Amino acid sequence: MPNDLNQTQVSVVASQPLDQLKRGGAKIKRKKTRDYHELHPVVNTIFSVLLGIFTIMCVFPFIYVIIISLTSEESIVRNGFQIIPAEWSTDAYRYLWNVKDQLLGSYGVTILITVVGTVISVLMISFYAYAISRPQFKYRRFFTFLAFFTMLFSGGLVPTYIVVTQFLGLKNTIWALILPLVMNAFYIIIMRTFFMKSVSESILESARIDGASEWRIFFQIVFPLSLPGIATIALFSTLGYWNDWFTALLYIDDPKLVPLQALLMKIEANLEFMKQNVDVGLMQQSLFDTLPQDSAKMAMVVIATLPIAVSYPFFQKYFISGLTIGGVKE
Amino acid sequence: MKKIVSDIYKNRIWLLMVLPGTIWLLLFSYLPMFGQVLAFKKFRIDPDGFFASVMHSEWVGWENFKYLFSTNDALVITRNTILYNLVFIVLGLVAAVATAILLSELVNKRLSKVYQTGMLFPHFISWVIGSYFVFTFLSSDRGLLNNVLGWFHIDAVSWYSEPQYWPYIIIFMSIWKGVGYGSIVYLASIVGIDRTYYEAAMIDGASKWKQIKHVTLPMLKPLMIILTIMNIGRIFNSDFGLFYQVPRDSGALYPVTNVIDTFVYRGLMTLGDIGMSTAAGLYQSAVGFILVMITNYIVRKVDNESALF
Amino acid sequence: MKKKLVLLLALVLSIGTILAACSSKDSSTSDKGGKDGQPYEIKWYTIGTPQKDTDKVFAEVNKYLKEKINATVKMQQIDWGDWAQKSQVMINAGEPFDIIFTNGTDYVQNAQKGAFVAIDDLLNKEGKDLKNAVNPALLEGNRINGKIYGVPTNKEAARQTVYTFNKRLVDKYKFDLTKVKTLEDLEPMLKTIKENESGITPMATFKAYLPYDYTFNNEMPFAFPIEGDRDHVVNQFDTDLAMSTFKTMHSYYKAGYLKEDAATSKDSWPMDVENWFVRMGDSQPYADLLWSRSAKYDVVSVPAEEPTTFNDSVSGSIQAISATSKNPKKAMEFLNLLNTDSYLRNLVDKGIEGVHYKKNDDGTIEDLPARIDKYNIPTYSIGNFFVLDLYKDDPKDKWDKFKEFNEAAKPAPTLGFHFDSDPVRSEIASITNISKEFYPALATGSVDPEKYLPKYNKKLKEAGLDKVLNEIQKQFDDWKGKQK
Repeated sequence: MPNDLNQTQVSVVASQPLDQLKRGGAKIKRKKTRDYHELHPVVNTIFSVLLGIFTIMCVFPFIYVIIISLTSEESIVRNGFQIIPAEWSTDAYRYLWNVKDQLLGSYGVTILITVVGTVISVLMISFYAYAISRPQFKYRRFFTFLAFFTMLFSGGLVPTYIVVTQFLGLKNTIWALILPLVMNAFYIIIMRTFFMKSVSESILESARIDGASEWRIFFQIVFPLSLPGIATIALFSTLGYWNDWFTALLYIDDPKLVPLQALLMKIEANLEFMKQNVDVGLMQQSLFDTLPQDSAKMAMVVIATLPIAVSYPFFQKYFISGLTIGGVKE
Repeated sequence: MKKIVSDIYKNRIWLLMVLPGTIWLLLFSYLPMFGQVLAFKKFRIDPDGFFASVMHSEWVGWENFKYLFSTNDALVITRNTILYNLVFIVLGLVAAVATAILLSELVNKRLSKVYQTGMLFPHFISWVIGSYFVFTFLSSDRGLLNNVLGWFHIDAVSWYSEPQYWPYIIIFMSIWKGVGYGSIVYLASIVGIDRTYYEAAMIDGASKWKQIKHVTLPMLKPLMIILTIMNIGRIFNSDFGLFYQVPRDSGALYPVTNVIDTFVYRGLMTLGDIGMSTAAGLYQSAVGFILVMITNYIVRKVDNESALF
Repeated sequence: MKKKLVLLLALVLSIGTILAACSSKDSSTSDKGGKDGQPYEIKWYTIGTPQKDTDKVFAEVNKYLKEKINATVKMQQIDWGDWAQKSQVMINAGEPFDIIFTNGTDYVQNAQKGAFVAIDDLLNKEGKDLKNAVNPALLEGNRINGKIYGVPTNKEAARQTVYTFNKRLVDKYKFDLTKVKTLEDLEPMLKTIKENESGITPMATFKAYLPYDYTFNNEMPFAFPIEGDRDHVVNQFDTDLAMSTFKTMHSYYKAGYLKEDAATSKDSWPMDVENWFVRMGDSQPYADLLWSRSAKYDVVSVPAEEPTTFNDSVSGSIQAISATSKNPKKAMEFLNLLNTDSYLRNLVDKGIEGVHYKKNDDGTIEDLPARIDKYNIPTYSIGNFFVLDLYKDDPKDKWDKFKEFNEAAKPAPTLGFHFDSDPVRSEIASITNISKEFYPALATGSVDPEKYLPKYNKKLKEAGLDKVLNEIQKQFDDWKGKQK
C-alpha cells in the first residue's frame, strides 16, 4: 500500500535510483538551509499581496462585528449596521459585565468540554483510523465502511435525542455535551489517509522485529510521525466543540451547563423570537427589556470567538514541527 | 467457523483499537437509524414513548416522499442543489489546495501564519451574522455597494430582488467561509511530505512549478480524492444558513436560492411533520450514497489504492 | 459489498430489538409516584428565560401545593428562541412529563398527533372550578374533533387589528383619525408626512390587512371571508379585494412611504424609537396606554376591524397535559388551582411577596428589583389573568375592560374548526414555499400586483390549490354539520 506514493515520485526522479537521491538531498539540506524551498521574490510578493487581500476580506467582518458591538443601540435601530456608526457606545460590554457570572460559567463549561472532548476524540479517532489504515487488518474495509456509512445516513434528531436522554440518561450532564461529538466519520477518514501516507509499513516492520507491541509502536512511532495529521484532527475537534451549540440546545436545561456558543445562539434566537412576537412584549415590557440587544450580541461574538481564533497558532506549531519530522524520518 | 475465530484472534489488536469507536458508532449513529422507518410512516404519538410511537404508527409507503417531487419547484430545487454543490466541490477543492500550497510556499513564514489565522475567522461567524455583513454591502438604500455605484452615476441595484447576481454572491460567500478551514487539512498534509522528495526534484533541476506539479500535487492526491468522494456523498445537502439567512429569505431570489434543505424547511413549517422531514433526509442520503458508490467504483477501477473502500 | 450491507443491517436490527425491549421495560417500571401517599411531582415545561429564583419561589409553591393537593411542581422554563425546536423534539420523543405550554398551530398539530390528553372528563371533575372560571369561548375554540386538549389561559379571547399612529405627528398636522377606516384613507396623511418629516418613515413596515379568517395564516391563500359569505373557503389572492389592496400598497411603496427593503426587512420597529408615523398591530384593552408607556411618547390607535374571536386568538396560550403524564388527574388538580386560586397564581407569576414584589395598602402591587432580575416570568403563558393582582399604574377597571372586550367580540367563521392537513400534506408543503416567495413582496407593495398576482395564482393552481380548497371545504362542512 505505501508503494503508491513512491510511484508518483518516480516520475519526477526517474533518472536516478530513489534512495540515492534522497540521501543526496539530505546532505544538501544540512549544508544549505531551505533556500531551495523559496519562491522567486516577485512571485512571492504577488502571492503575498493576493493572499493578504483575501485575508483582509476574511478578517474584516470580524472587525465589523467589533464595530457594531461598539455602536449605540439607538443608532443601530435608526441607521442599521454601519461601518462607521453614527454614535459609539460601550453599553454592550457593560451589559456583558452585568451577566459576567453566567459568562464566566459558560467559559468554564466550554473550555472543559473542549479540552476533555478533544483529548477523548483524538484518541478514539486515531485508534480507529490507524487500525483501518493498516493492511494487516483483515476487516479494515468493513470498519471503514462502518464509519463512512454514518456520514451519509444519520438517525435523525428525535431518535438520537432518545438514545442520549432515555437510553444513556445524559440529559443535563456535561457528558451530553461531550459524547455526541466524540467521533466523526469525516475526521476518521481524513486521519486514515494521513496514516496511510505518512506511516509506512517499512518503519513499523523494523520495530515489530525488535519485538515492540502494537500499542508501543502506536504511541512511540506512529503518533509522533503523524503529528501534523493529529494536530489537524485536534484542531477540527477543538473548533467543533468550541462552536457547538446544538447539543446544548437539545440536552441542557440547566443554565449552569450552557456553553458559550449556546449562550450566544440563545441570544440570537431570542432576538429573533422577540421580533416575530411583538405582542408578547406588549403585555409585559420587562420580559424583553432584559434580553440583550443586537450590539450586545455582537459583543458576545467577539468574546466567544477571539480566544479560539488566537489559539490557532498553538496548533500551527505542530504543523511546523512536521517539517522537521519529515527530515528525520529516514 | 473455526477460520473466523482464528481470524478474529489474529486481528485482536486491531479489533481492540476499533472497539471504542465502534461502540460509539453503534450507539450514536446506528442505533438512531432505526428512526429512518419514520420516512414510511404517518407519525402518531403513543403514550408509551417513542419506540411504541414508531411501532404503532401507520405505514404509508412513499406518501411522505411525494411532496419532494410533486411540483415544478422540485426540478428547480434539485437543479439548484446539484449545480451549487458541483461548483462548491470543484472551486472549493481548487481554492483550498491552491491556498494551502501558496501558504506553504510563502517566504515569510510569519506572514503565512498570520494569513492562516486570518482566513480561519469566517469559520467562526455564524451565517446569521454573516448575513448582516452581506446586508451592509447590499442593502438597497444604505448599502455600501450602491453608494459606490452612486459615485460612478450608476443606478442603484436592489440586490435582494435581482436573482441574476446571486449565484455569484452565494458561491463567493461559500468560498470565503470555507477556504481557511478547508486548506488546513491540505496544509498539514503538505507539511507531512518528506522534504527529501523536493530536494531530489531540485537536484533534477525541477522548477518551483514543476516541484508543485510533480511532488506536492501527487502527494495530496489521495486526500483530494477522498475528500471529493465524501463531498459527492453530500451533494443533495446544502448549508442551510447560506441559502436561507444570507439572501434574507427573499422570495424574489427563490429561483436561484431555493435548495432542497430550504424547500423542506419552509414546506414543513406549517406542517411540522416528522415523517416528511425524515423522508427528505433519507432521500438526500440515499442519492448521496448511490453517487458515492459509483464514484468509488470508478476510482477503484482507475487507481485501486486511492479508493475509499 | 452486499455482504457488508447485510451484516450491517443485521447489526442495526439486533440492537434495535434490544433497545425496544429495554425501553418497554423502562416504561412499565417507572409508573410510580403519586401512590402510597407520597406527593406526586408534576413536571411542567413552559416558555421563557430560566430564572434564578425559580427554585426559591417553587419551594413556597410546593409548600402550599402539598397541603392543598398533595403534589409538588417542578417548573422548567425553556428559553424563548429554543422553545419551538426543543419542545417539538421532546414531544415527538415521548419524553415523560405532565404539563407543557403550547399555542397556535403547535397545539392543533400535536393534539391531532396524539401528544396531549383529552381533558373533557378531567374538566368535569378535577377541573370543575377552572371550567367555570374560563371564558367558554376559549374552551370551545380549542376543541379539536369535539375534544378539548388543553387549558387556555383566560385572557383576551379576541383579536382586533388596529392602525396605530404617532400621536405627536397626528396633533401637529391636525389629522382627523375618525375618518380612517381603510388602508386607502391613510393616503393624504402619508403624503403630508413624507413631504414634511424627513426623519420619519411614514409607514413602519407591515403587511396589508385583508378581512379574512385564515385556515393557516395570512401568508397562505386559504381564507374564509369575515363578512359576506362566511361558509365558503376562498383563495384570498384571487379576490378583487386583494388586487385593490395590494395595488394601494404598491402605490404607497412607489411613493416612498415604505422602506425600500420592506419585503425582506426583518426590522421590528421598536416602539421606543420614534421614526415612524403609522403601523399595524393587534390590540387589546388599554393597548395604547401600554404602548405609550413603552414608547415613552403617545400613540393612538384606530381599529381596522371589529374585535373578533379567531382560532388564533383563543389558542395564544394553552397548558396541555402530556399523553406521557403518569398522573393526569394531579396535573389537572394543579391547573385547576393555578387558574382559580389567587394566592397561587400571583405567587407563580410575581414571586414571593416582600421579596419580588410589594403590596400597597389599596391592594395593588409594585415590582421590586428582584422580580425583574431574578424572577421575571411571562404572565401570558401561565394562567388566568383575572385572578392576578393589579399593578399600581394599571387602570382599575383593566380586567372589566378585558371582559367587555371578550363579550363584544364576534366569533370568526371558523372558530373551533381545526383543519386536518394530512390528506393534502404534499400540496401544503409546495404552497407554503410558493406563498413565501410571493406574499411578502405583494403584501408590502414591493411589486406590482397586476403582474405578480396572476403569476402567483397560476403557480398556486399548479401546486394543487383546488385540491386543498376542496378538502378544507369538505372538512368545514362536516364540522359545521356537527355543530347543530
